[in-house]
Amino acid sequence: MMKTPRILAALVVSALFAIAGCGGGGDDSGGTPKAEKATQAKASGDVSWCIGKDTTGSFSTVVDNFNKANPKAHAKLIELPTSADDQRRLQVQRLRAKSSECDLLGMDVIWTAEYAAQGWLKDVSDYISQNGDKFIKSTVDTTEYNGKNWAVPFNSNAGFIYYRTDEVNSAPKDWETLYKEAADKNGIVYQGFRYEGLTVNFLELLYSKGGSIISDDGKKATADSQEVKDVLKFMGDGIKNGSAPKAVTTYQEEESRRAFESGSATFMRNWPYAYALGKKSKIGSKFDIANFPGFSGQQGAGVLGGYNLGISAFSKNASGALAFAEFATQPDQQKIMAAEASLPPTTSATYDDPAVKKAMPFAAELKTAIEQAKPRPVSPVYPQISEAVYNNVYDVLQGKASPDDAAKKMNDEIDKALQTF
Amino acid sequence: MEAATARVGRGKRRKEKKDQSYGSEERRLAALLLSPTVVVILLVAAYPIGYAIWLSLTEYSLRVPGLWRFVGFDNYSEAFGSSEFWDAVKTTFLFTVISVTLELAIGLAMALAMHAAFKGRGLLRTVVLVPWAVLTVVSAITWKTLFEPNLGLVPTILGKVGIAENVVWLGQSGYALAVMILADVWKTAPFMALLLLAGLQVIPDDVYDAAKVDGATTWQRFRRITLPLLTPAILVALIFRTLDALRIFDLPFVLTGGTNGTSTLSLIAQKELTTNNLIGYGSALSVLTFVIVMAVSFLYIKSVGGNIRSLAEDN
Repeated sequence: MMKTPRILAALVVSALFAIAGCGGGGDDSGGTPKAEKATQAKASGDVSWCIGKDTTGSFSTVVDNFNKANPKAHAKLIELPTSADDQRRLQVQRLRAKSSECDLLGMDVIWTAEYAAQGWLKDVSDYISQNGDKFIKSTVDTTEYNGKNWAVPFNSNAGFIYYRTDEVNSAPKDWETLYKEAADKNGIVYQGFRYEGLTVNFLELLYSKGGSIISDDGKKATADSQEVKDVLKFMGDGIKNGSAPKAVTTYQEEESRRAFESGSATFMRNWPYAYALGKKSKIGSKFDIANFPGFSGQQGAGVLGGYNLGISAFSKNASGALAFAEFATQPDQQKIMAAEASLPPTTSATYDDPAVKKAMPFAAELKTAIEQAKPRPVSPVYPQISEAVYNNVYDVLQGKASPDDAAKKMNDEIDKALQTF
Repeated sequence: MEAATARVGRGKRRKEKKDQSYGSEERRLAALLLSPTVVVILLVAAYPIGYAIWLSLTEYSLRVPGLWRFVGFDNYSEAFGSSEFWDAVKTTFLFTVISVTLELAIGLAMALAMHAAFKGRGLLRTVVLVPWAVLTVVSAITWKTLFEPNLGLVPTILGKVGIAENVVWLGQSGYALAVMILADVWKTAPFMALLLLAGLQVIPDDVYDAAKVDGATTWQRFRRITLPLLTPAILVALIFRTLDALRIFDLPFVLTGGTNGTSTLSLIAQKELTTNNLIGYGSALSVLTFVIVMAVSFLYIKSVGGNIRSLAEDN
């Protein structure tokens, strides 16, 4: 299944090296070739890159490419487990022990603030201020903490609305209509289980309404607001009125996907990964995707996922690590990962590439989704904040708390979490 | 018999005997020979437990660099003041009582059936143990799939016959705990059966023969012979299962993530320790779990000990 893209990628890569080998010839990768070349020429020494399991082999390809392009440097991939929680645990263990084993860390965007606050990351503000333009703006926002940039955006992610083309003509442009149509047809499935995914699903609705859960400076909870109450009521009523089946309270991504693919739902909120799989299912020819609707005419907004590359404060080769991060975020390398591993690029230019469009037919919508998406609250206590959110949203979905009480409790719990830092 | 009397003998008699039979030199030798074991136990059990207790008295969070201060019993009062903790205590005990009772009843029935002589008994005994041999995480995922709304086997079949049609099994209080208990009973009743079977096999046949001669009915034989003689085995099996059930973690972690009234003590301790990185508070929760488990096992051991002693004395 991965064969064709891999061969394609290999061709692309060898072509790239043929050009590079000719001696600093025209690099057609776009972005900021000058800065890239300058750093790469300096790249030397060993760089170990600790990131989640390389399930498609695209990370290894990028490592090989880097090593070929930088004869004086030697990059090495250290694979962490597939589960994000396990990756974080192993990274935190190393960082707490001040281990220099990992020079470059592949971090979920929500860990960035925590790592930065602990003093585990090197400040890369200079690099970002010089090269930030090539990235989609929202992805750079996920690297910020205390007014500085602590990582290089590596890949991104944002959700879509999947809808059945045989049941509705198009995806509604606002959430109210979508929920109403869902109630008339077979409903919408989303990630309503009590976990991180529910926080994301809730924030997508809240952001479309213009609400927030913590203040911009990250010091105070702002969840006891009308927007939060409205969204909680909207979600709770959604289940009561049959817009969403009661079963969504047990759904994570995979359960939602299976329900949608079995034909039992008209709409689904999910990440782009469900597209290719859905096309192979029995409803393959009967669904399409759309960007998130807004609330009553406002623009829709998503929540950013994805990974950043941070340089460990304990690295013995920070310049080499930065050179690698720079290399891995060149549009050409981003293209390999997009085509081979469906990892949404952080560089705008990559989305227009024909090879990427072929591998991701939804490239245009995905770019829009990422541009419109916002980061989750940037805070070193993000896990507690998220817990306060999903616990209280869950209680509303289960009908155990009123939207007003849940909003107040959410606010108190977030404040409590913020105080512990 | 002499040895048995020495073991069960208590108080003065025992003390005198000891003083007579062991000189101080032998005692020293005994202490010397035991010391490696004591050192190992101290290293692998006492040190971690002591360290956990120490941590539970501090405010220590991996989130705040360099934060480590002694706070006394603050973590404990926070735990006692949180509804999350009491909910977990309630769930843990509810789960333990119901699941262990069911396991005992089903395990006993299975053991009695397996004890009877019939063809293919050896094979049955092996097959029965299969659920117990399956990793809990794997069987939990299987149960989760079986109860998945719309697509799972159980809701599909029940829906066809019109029972519990609108129930989201793992998404509703009560039902979620029921599935968790079902999964636990399915897995560990065979283990219970095996322990009880071992107990049944040491009961001599002549006791039954004598009872039959005296005209005892099947029920009387079960009630008056099997049950009393099986009591030590039952208590040992109950200890194992109760302590396991009190520490249950993997089943709710996989099945429900602790939602809908299935959050157990181990689950909340793990959450505070690993997800929230609150080492002090998480350790306090672990210590509380440990204390509860110790208290229950102490009660059991006292009753088992007494029971074995009384049995020995009766003999």
